[in-house]
Amino acid sequence: MLAYYLRLALISIRQSPGLSLLMVLAIGLGIGAAMTTVTVNYLMSANPIPHKSEQLFYVQLDSWDPHQAANENGDPPDQLTYRDATALLAAKKAYRQVIQAQIGTVVEPEGKDSLPFQVSGRANSADFFAIFDVPFLYGGAWSETADSEQQHVVVLSQSLNERLFGGKDSVGQKVKMAGDYYQVVGVMANWQPRPRFYDVTTGAFNEVEELFVPFSLLAEPKLSRNGNTNCWKPSGEGYPAFLNSECVWTQMWVELRNDSEKQQYLDFLNAYVEEQKKLGRFARPLNNRLSDVMQWMENQQVVAEDASLMMVMSLMFLLVCLLNTIGLLLAKFLSKAPQIGLRQALGASRQHLFAQYLTEAGCIGLAGGLLGLLLAWLGLQGVTLLYGDSMKGLAELDWVMVLLAMGLALLSSLLAGLYPTWRACTVQPSQQLKSQ
Amino acid sequence: MLKMKQLGKVFHTGEVSTHALREVDLHVKEGDFVSVTGPSGSGKTTFLNIAGLLEVASSGEFLLDGDNVNLLSDSQRSKMRNQKIGFIFQGFNLIPELNLFDNVDVPLRYRGFDAKERKRRIEQQLELVGLASRMKHLPSQLSGGQQQRVAIARALATSPRFLLADEPTGNLDSQMAQSVMALLEDINRQGTTIIMVTHDHGLAQRAKRQIFIKDGRVSELTAVEGLHSAGLERVTPLHTHGSADAARQLGV
Amino acid sequence: MFELGPIFRALLRQKVGAVLIALQIALTLSIMVNAIFMMQNRSTLMARPSGLDEANLFYLSNTVFAQNYPHQAALEDDLRLIRSIPGVVDATQINAIPLSGGGWSMSLQKKAGEGEDGTGVAVYMVDEHGINTLGVELIQGENFQNTDIRWRAASAVDWPERTIISQAMAEALFPGNWQSALGQTVYINNNEPMQITGIIKTLQAPWNGWDGVERSMLVPYQLEGRNNRYMIRTEPGRRDELMPIVEKALAESDKNRIIRGVTSLEETRADSYRSHNALNRILLLVIVVLTLITAFGIVGLAMFSINRRKRQIGTRRALGATQLQVMRYFMLENLLITSLGVLIGVAAAIGLNIWLVSQFELKPLEPMLLLTGVVVLYLVGQLAVLYPARKAAAIAPATATRSV
Repeated sequence: MLAYYLRLALISIRQSPGLSLLMVLAIGLGIGAAMTTVTVNYLMSANPIPHKSEQLFYVQLDSWDPHQAANENGDPPDQLTYRDATALLAAKKAYRQVIQAQIGTVVEPEGKDSLPFQVSGRANSADFFAIFDVPFLYGGAWSETADSEQQHVVVLSQSLNERLFGGKDSVGQKVKMAGDYYQVVGVMANWQPRPRFYDVTTGAFNEVEELFVPFSLLAEPKLSRNGNTNCWKPSGEGYPAFLNSECVWTQMWVELRNDSEKQQYLDFLNAYVEEQKKLGRFARPLNNRLSDVMQWMENQQVVAEDASLMMVMSLMFLLVCLLNTIGLLLAKFLSKAPQIGLRQALGASRQHLFAQYLTEAGCIGLAGGLLGLLLAWLGLQGVTLLYGDSMKGLAELDWVMVLLAMGLALLSSLLAGLYPTWRACTVQPSQQLKSQ
Repeated sequence: MLKMKQLGKVFHTGEVSTHALREVDLHVKEGDFVSVTGPSGSGKTTFLNIAGLLEVASSGEFLLDGDNVNLLSDSQRSKMRNQKIGFIFQGFNLIPELNLFDNVDVPLRYRGFDAKERKRRIEQQLELVGLASRMKHLPSQLSGGQQQRVAIARALATSPRFLLADEPTGNLDSQMAQSVMALLEDINRQGTTIIMVTHDHGLAQRAKRQIFIKDGRVSELTAVEGLHSAGLERVTPLHTHGSADAARQLGV
Repeated sequence: MFELGPIFRALLRQKVGAVLIALQIALTLSIMVNAIFMMQNRSTLMARPSGLDEANLFYLSNTVFAQNYPHQAALEDDLRLIRSIPGVVDATQINAIPLSGGGWSMSLQKKAGEGEDGTGVAVYMVDEHGINTLGVELIQGENFQNTDIRWRAASAVDWPERTIISQAMAEALFPGNWQSALGQTVYINNNEPMQITGIIKTLQAPWNGWDGVERSMLVPYQLEGRNNRYMIRTEPGRRDELMPIVEKALAESDKNRIIRGVTSLEETRADSYRSHNALNRILLLVIVVLTLITAFGIVGLAMFSINRRKRQIGTRRALGATQLQVMRYFMLENLLITSLGVLIGVAAAIGLNIWLVSQFELKPLEPMLLLTGVVVLYLVGQLAVLYPARKAAAIAPATATRSV
């Protein structure tokens, strides 16, 4: 019978093309708008490292001004001071730990014709690659010794390796930066977590940096830092004073495999802060935090407010489109009352009629869904165009979204079709047969 | 096969209650051809609707082939309509967007025949009413008489034992009306029981039994022999030719 | 209005269709009004002047990679070179770019000492060409002298003796009496005194989302570091022509650095407000499409209702109703439905606004806007029903007598 109902639906849709088009358009626009914004939200709120997001924790210590909290809501500062970060790293109390900061530097390629160029980089301790499961094309991470001995080693991104060495295995080669030569120990395979969760303080959706060097090299002022620096009291004159100051500019992640490790680590942090209090630091109440990846994304409001706002608006928009469809379907089905009465006279049961008209509603929904997909794709292009690079990689349909769009379209059209269909089924046949 | 005992139907609209049918007692036997006449608003259509299981009586008993119809569910009644009853209407009631083939197909679909059987029946019935060649046409491309023939083909496609006709010739000119009536008589002769509502006394008198409804009450008229035969005489030649030929001769 | 009674009773009989349209109108109204309100808020933000001569400004980054580089001499050479290029009005080194989203902020307090109340302020380090280059208007006091300018080493912590602040900053420090700020001494880094020697009318901080965006200060500092920015002001209309010329001149004059990021201030403004702009366009599109959808919904339902009532309309015509009266019937019917929708819609709009305000950083709705939305929807409803109403009026009186 489904084939029969489909044929009847097709005939009926063809019979009033304007109205059918209007309904398909309404559902299509509603679905298109909803899917565009849902996709952006979905990609923004994606879990970038699902298999271990609950074992990675962002470390916060409240080292801030005794007179004023770092954040209005009382949260500790978003980053650590250099002295605390290096102390916690040296303590090695977590299964794995990494401290890091963003840098910017100029690479001077060999050869007369090549011009020096600016690259974005990151200074991080050795565990960075293991904690975040960074894939390698060639070589691998540097050793802890490289960290402690401030060795001039570097890990390159795939694209920078392409630019400097034509994509060849460059492990062992040298790269000149800020007057020094760095030895390549590894080349990363393509890696672009979205959001770029490991450091959202420098933009949650920015590109992964092009090169990585040991964090310990920041002990000298040769490499310039790029990230945010916040101070609540003057840092004092000279670079050593700056490193020893209360300015925060370092991020720290730890990997803790279970709740007891997490509890132990929190205890350790609290003990550390108590120790520091004796030295006259950490005047604020104890307020240390360990946030797992998704908690940290939430805390940092990685999903832009505009994106949520747009989603709310677009879902309401979809609702209007559905009301529209309900009204039009109702009008259409009721105008078929004579036919419905006739079919009942000829032996159609309510179930038959219900199936027939719901099939018609479903067909319109599917057509609307297809149109909606097209519009969502166009909408995402539009979003990319309007927002520029900040939306790069956040406005792409994947198969989950395609399925969701079709499901949403079908579901909404069936929902929209439910009442009109019910009304159609309750038509009194005897009243429809006498006069047409 | 059709038995009504003390059947009544009341419509309630707001404060007003209308008694459309009162204490109807009727027994229609297999092979009967019953005509129903009466003034407008007398309850003819209500009677037909109840007989065709489109409405349920408010009181009394209605047995169709021994089943008490009042006790059946909506879907059971739908099934019974589909299997036992065929309808023809004054306004033909063809579905305008479906072609002739698909129109006749409608009740067969609900019957659940397979595609081959449906095709066989549709072609057979359309052949019978002389419209097999126009199977792919839409109703709007046909004349009134032709449309009513399609409606009859549709009503007969499921081989019902009962044919209910509500003013089947009401929208036709007299020549076409005669041809449709002849077709009905032919059908009756082949064993189908027919109940026909009409306001045309000439046609009513050609039925085997005549009942008259006034103010919701049913009374049976005894046929006047002479008129009856005179009416028959006029159309006799058509019967010998079979209905398809008859239709062609009339230029329908 | 004598027809309202019968229309209303007829509506009650087909209430679902009417309620559906009314609900659509209600939702459309609440979305429309809130969306327009958001757009207005953002447009107001975007319309704030930065205080700069934006049309004729551009800037670039100078990144030194050579070791043992004579930073001070090179900077002076660079600025001299840029200022000598025909068409360039002036140039200065600057530490941060207004509207760019990246910069320095400090806190100024009226009394020295830790724990005293401070006022956050954006810091722009410029030389005596700063005011002329940026095109900001000095309304009190005087510009820096060449002798005021000091060199700032990479990790220096001390501050010059003089500063020029924006009027908004003066007002924040001396509420109700900003003029009195001139000549006053304020403290930076808790204890370091600075004297206010000038007040400029407007100069926005680099962060357009900051509530203190109008508070800024100019400090007579030249930075000595590996990363510098030069701000360049050109004669009107010559910016685009001069951008590559300046870039080339600098790049060729010294090979020990990279000149990059040559950007006009107008591009920076567009970038800065990109998301605001984008959201406004999206909201506009939503409003337009939504209104169209609702209008077409009204047309569709009205057409069907008219088709169903063809005979009734024919009968009315046969009984002597004029075409105008038939049209009026449907227009009035729409008016009633719209009124219901608007009634629900106003409540919904306010409800939605309250919810949005609680969820997002938004302000409460203005009543005037709500009223405008109501009027617009009445107009849309009447316009939408016009075509079906004319169709209805065109139904022939003879329709009443035909049975099919």
